[in-house]
Amino acid sequence: MIQLENISFDHCIKCTICTVYCPVARVTHLFPGPKQSGPDAERLRKKTPELVDESLKYCTNCKRCEISCPSDVKIADIIQDAKWKYLKKRFRIRDYFLSRTDLLGTVATSTSWFVNFFTRLFLVKFFLDKLLKIPSGRRFPQYERGTFRRWFRKNADDQGSFDEQVVYFHGCFVNYNDHQLGRDLLTVLNTMNIGVLLANEKCCGVPLIANAYLEKARRNGRHNIRSLEQASEHGRIPIVATSTSCTYALKYEYQNLLALDNSRIVNNIEYIMKYLYSQFERGNIPEMKPVGMRVAYHAPCHLERMGGVIYTIEVLKRIPGLDLVLLYSECCGIAGTYGFKSESYEISQKIGQDLFRKIERADPEVVITDCETCKLQIEMNTPYSVLHPVNVLTMAVKEGK
Amino acid sequence: MKYDCLIIGGGLSGLTCGIKCAREGLRCAIISSGMSALHFSSGSIDLLGYHPDGTVVYQPFEHLGHFINEHPEHPYAKCGIDTVRDAFGFVRGELQQEDLDLFCNGEDNHFHITAMGTMKPTYLSQRSVFNESLKGAFKKRARIAVLNFSGFRDFYPDIVVANLRKNSLFSVFEIVSGTIDLPLFRRTNRNPHEFRSIDIARIFDSEKYLPRIAVEIEKLSGDALFVAMPAFIGITNYNRIHRRLEELTGTLIYEIPTLPPSILGMRIDNALKSRFAALGGVFINGDKIIGGEILNNRIEQLHTTNYYDTGFTADYYVLSTGSFFSGGLLSEYNQIREPIFNLQVYSERDREQWRSSNFISGESHPFLEFGVNTDDRLRPATLQGEMIENLFCTGALLSHYNPVKEGSGGGVALSTGYYAARQIIERKAGQ
Amino acid sequence: MKRLETTAIVIGGGVTGAGTLRDLALRGIDAMLIEKNDITSGTSGRNHGLLHSGARYAVKDLESAKECIRENRILKKVARHCIEDSGGLFITVPDDDPEYHYKLLEYCKYADIDAEEIRLRDAFKLEPNLNPDILSAILVPDGIIDPFRLASSNILDAQEHGARVLTHTEVVDIISDGRVRGVICRDRLAGEDVEVYGQLVINASGVWGQHIGRMAGVDLKMFPSKGSMVIIDYRINNIVVNRCRMPTDGDIIVPGDTVSIIGTTSKRIDYSEVDHCTIDDDEIDILLSDGEKLIPNVSKTRVLRAYCGVRPLVEVSGESDGREISRGVVLIDHEKRDGLQGFITIAGGKLMTYRLMAEMATDLTCRKLSIKKKCSTHKTPLPGSERASSIKRGIRSFTGISRSVIGSTLNRHGERVYSILKRDKKNYAIICECEMVTVGEIEYALKNLNVKDIVDLRRRTRIGMGPCQGELCAYRAAGLFLEFDHATPDEVNKMFLDFLEERWKGIKPVLWGDSLRESEFTYWIYEGLFGISDLQAGE
Repeated sequence: MIQLENISFDHCIKCTICTVYCPVARVTHLFPGPKQSGPDAERLRKKTPELVDESLKYCTNCKRCEISCPSDVKIADIIQDAKWKYLKKRFRIRDYFLSRTDLLGTVATSTSWFVNFFTRLFLVKFFLDKLLKIPSGRRFPQYERGTFRRWFRKNADDQGSFDEQVVYFHGCFVNYNDHQLGRDLLTVLNTMNIGVLLANEKCCGVPLIANAYLEKARRNGRHNIRSLEQASEHGRIPIVATSTSCTYALKYEYQNLLALDNSRIVNNIEYIMKYLYSQFERGNIPEMKPVGMRVAYHAPCHLERMGGVIYTIEVLKRIPGLDLVLLYSECCGIAGTYGFKSESYEISQKIGQDLFRKIERADPEVVITDCETCKLQIEMNTPYSVLHPVNVLTMAVKEGK
Repeated sequence: MKYDCLIIGGGLSGLTCGIKCAREGLRCAIISSGMSALHFSSGSIDLLGYHPDGTVVYQPFEHLGHFINEHPEHPYAKCGIDTVRDAFGFVRGELQQEDLDLFCNGEDNHFHITAMGTMKPTYLSQRSVFNESLKGAFKKRARIAVLNFSGFRDFYPDIVVANLRKNSLFSVFEIVSGTIDLPLFRRTNRNPHEFRSIDIARIFDSEKYLPRIAVEIEKLSGDALFVAMPAFIGITNYNRIHRRLEELTGTLIYEIPTLPPSILGMRIDNALKSRFAALGGVFINGDKIIGGEILNNRIEQLHTTNYYDTGFTADYYVLSTGSFFSGGLLSEYNQIREPIFNLQVYSERDREQWRSSNFISGESHPFLEFGVNTDDRLRPATLQGEMIENLFCTGALLSHYNPVKEGSGGGVALSTGYYAARQIIERKAGQ
Repeated sequence: MKRLETTAIVIGGGVTGAGTLRDLALRGIDAMLIEKNDITSGTSGRNHGLLHSGARYAVKDLESAKECIRENRILKKVARHCIEDSGGLFITVPDDDPEYHYKLLEYCKYADIDAEEIRLRDAFKLEPNLNPDILSAILVPDGIIDPFRLASSNILDAQEHGARVLTHTEVVDIISDGRVRGVICRDRLAGEDVEVYGQLVINASGVWGQHIGRMAGVDLKMFPSKGSMVIIDYRINNIVVNRCRMPTDGDIIVPGDTVSIIGTTSKRIDYSEVDHCTIDDDEIDILLSDGEKLIPNVSKTRVLRAYCGVRPLVEVSGESDGREISRGVVLIDHEKRDGLQGFITIAGGKLMTYRLMAEMATDLTCRKLSIKKKCSTHKTPLPGSERASSIKRGIRSFTGISRSVIGSTLNRHGERVYSILKRDKKNYAIICECEMVTVGEIEYALKNLNVKDIVDLRRRTRIGMGPCQGELCAYRAAGLFLEFDHATPDEVNKMFLDFLEERWKGIKPVLWGDSLRESEFTYWIYEGLFGISDLQAGE
């Protein structure tokens, strides 16, 4: 029988709005737009897979088309699904490693000085470009020494002593590249009398999904669901994440794209800013000193799609002394591993140009965003440094600026 | 999230309501499940264009009183002429703050040329569609050029010219057509034959090719009084580009709306959203209402797909969800309903009564008049007959008016949005 | 009055007429086809496009079944690009009499039709959307045939061999002085009358034969039986699904090009309604509810259109109570039956036996005109069907154009695609985005395929046949008619409105859900934004 949940393309009334707001279609003719690649082509693909076009691969899955669609068509999901079902899969070493962040991270954090030094060298980047097709223009994230989990084990064994707890899904970026964010989260939550627990984690799977390693993504997913169910005591303890991509995967992609059953924990998983907002509303708001900074906020695509930008903005508004500028919501272009591939690097850079110009015009002291790959992209393309909202909260909580 | 006023639907009506509320200092949020019908509109705002017999209305405000008497169920009747006037003035003023001027012909309607070369009456238009210079040009009787860009498949100047020539208004004009072929476009790495209006609008925005385009326009139009082109003369930079192009070519530049996406409509959409944000309004995109709690005839809370647990609470709610294609009304095999609150709707039971025998005819289609019934304060009732006290309905969602047949779509949207806002503000002030 | 001369005059531009014209032309006989509307605008364009294996008729009408399977095999070779060899299933649902399953297998054997019972597991693999509760399944060599492509290719071949075609030209009288000499016809678009003289008039006008017969002074009784169908806006099945029971209403779902068609019903109508048959609500009800039994949830998908066609059933013996109604082929030499020389009728039959019917009519023509030429249509491929089209080859030949576009154009025109898509970016612009119809394809159709207006264009290229039903492409197509100098501005105005009305005819009966949304949108653009009703009014 027809599975009604898989045929949202049926509702498309060909209004073309999605194509107007697609950041990829805007900058390149190689991608004909979400309408043609999604609902239009789906009718043809149902007839025969021979009618599938390679241009599908340029879709970044930013979901801006779905946000704009007045007919409830899950355009980006349709395109991702088609990519997996119909595009020829070729094994590429680059994609294999780029999507295995746990593997890369474990190796890199134990040799961080070496890795950080070498990935900055022009010659190394040149060879990576020629051999693996990783664009030499791309700046690599820096790796920390050791993992966040190791620091946590050593320095945070008193978390059970607080009145409340949350389970913190830290994700790969905090674990391997940005311990400070994790530490800042502890500072903020502990100040609010909330302790932080960790669950046994594997990479949430976002880069695996993006590179069509669905089986591995499902394995990670099943592991994470089990471990989060356990750590949260089957939903009694809230689960938070500081990465919007991790949150999006855990809540939506697991069930929509990977068909995993996360029903027991899905309603407990929250992006950290939403959790903090509800705590603030309950009256549990820490004392904050003025942070006299001009900041510009960029809303990541995944946060726009799953809703929650208003929580980040509301929390930021509660920080005294902050001169908050809201940037026009648009895609920064990196789209996860998309910006690390030579064949799509130029497109990814072009997409973000408008945003970078707007940031420069706003001329803040610091840019704030919730997504770690947006952070990489903006830091690479503008002279500004990028902080997570939790970093700024920590400033206010600790001693202002 | 708690607000003074929560508006469901971010189109012309919802945004008008939101801006008015935000202006008065109310904490206001708009939830929109996708982009609005402004993206397909003419970018002009209609007040009243046609009599019931299909003849054109030339003086809409003068005629409005009579119209309201003849149509007591019409949304204009519920708003009253003064509110309609205020609403138009208000929106015009707000758009001006965003550098988007709308022009009118005093109290009279003016006409805009369509992509088929017919003429449609309207009341407020953007500078490239109506202004004093254009009005003056009509009195001068000279040459008009209708131009297209080579490969732009959503506009055909020859059809426009052929049909314009049939119109007595244009009998004294010399009308020429032409196609601008810019090899520069081929270097932009795209197939220009696959351009939509938005792609060309972005090219105009960048100003890079303006001088070359101006040269081509002059070549093709000679000493034309005004040059009509498809509506894509920039979107974010429209004002500047339009003026500059007129300077460079020495002629008036006129825009004709074509197939979607409508750049003219999007300019209004962008300006209204920008205004709303500047006044502190919160705009939530890509989210849909999935349920709510109604207690003692009042809406207590609403839940959306993305905010299903925290939900939204407001003192007042406005439903501006539009007509069928925006999802405000739902049609099923044998019934019409309003999908969010199951409000009482006006419709016909027999599906054959929903439409006319011919697609295009003087009778238009009955389904365009279907919608939510409200009292004269724009308040709806549930199917059980209970009036919901803190809910207003505005815009295309409403029943008993036909926006296409009457030429009243934009006017009803902003008048009812404004009227709802006014009532909310009064009530809040009274508390 | 203008006067034309030819040898054989074919009245009727359905597949039978088209096939006959081609057969005549291939045998070197000068011929002209006269069609009052457009090619395949009659019953040929209003069926569900099924390439029968014959299994459907095996139990009730063995002769018909045998004819079907023979033609099925021939057409799969000579009309390759018009056919999709999808296969077909006969499924037994819990409501059905399981005995029929065995009868079907038995009779198919008698008719030499490869019917094979398959495991349910395999049936679901072939068609995952099937009713999960089916009891049994039989695989048969059913296929899908596109009547528009079929007729169009026949005409193209005929014209390339010297035949002439007059569309939008209606026969208003038969010139007869005891012997038929020719016809008088009216060119509806030019508004002028034409006399056409020939040695033989072949009546291939299907259900309209009664009217033509009357003009010739012979009695040709038709029993107009209306069959209605409902189109689902995308392909819900990729194999033909039949209900394993005696053929009745709503027991088949046929995949079309990019859609699926649920058929059909059978209602007797009065002959006067033949030109304006409409579909009734109860027919839609039956089709959707019976369709549910084959593929559950079909009625919750988007129903795109509903349409009806009139079966050209011929009454053979002269009795009028209907018992002698035959679905078989009827060839009448009116010289023998009615003493009228110069006039023959070929009628009845099915879409897929057209070639056989054309052969019979042309053989008779040759006998009467003492021409000794044999039929070759059973082995000469139609233009476009010379070899199996391969999308791989297509992709290698065209760069800078999406695969979906190449593939769609290949499907519609077969090997001719290489001459259609001239390598120029201008030709690649997509006009109909739902069905991927390019400027190049439209230009080709305008110049070569007897296209007089947008409705004709739609039959040749599928423009406007997708979910949007012309919302974006109607205006673009109208513009192209003007751009290619194929019509005057007044003609363009008229054809634009006519096209929208033609699309509306099929949308009206199913105006709910997304179809209503789409129509509202289209109406807003074309009336609200473009004001096209003003074109109707004139000035």
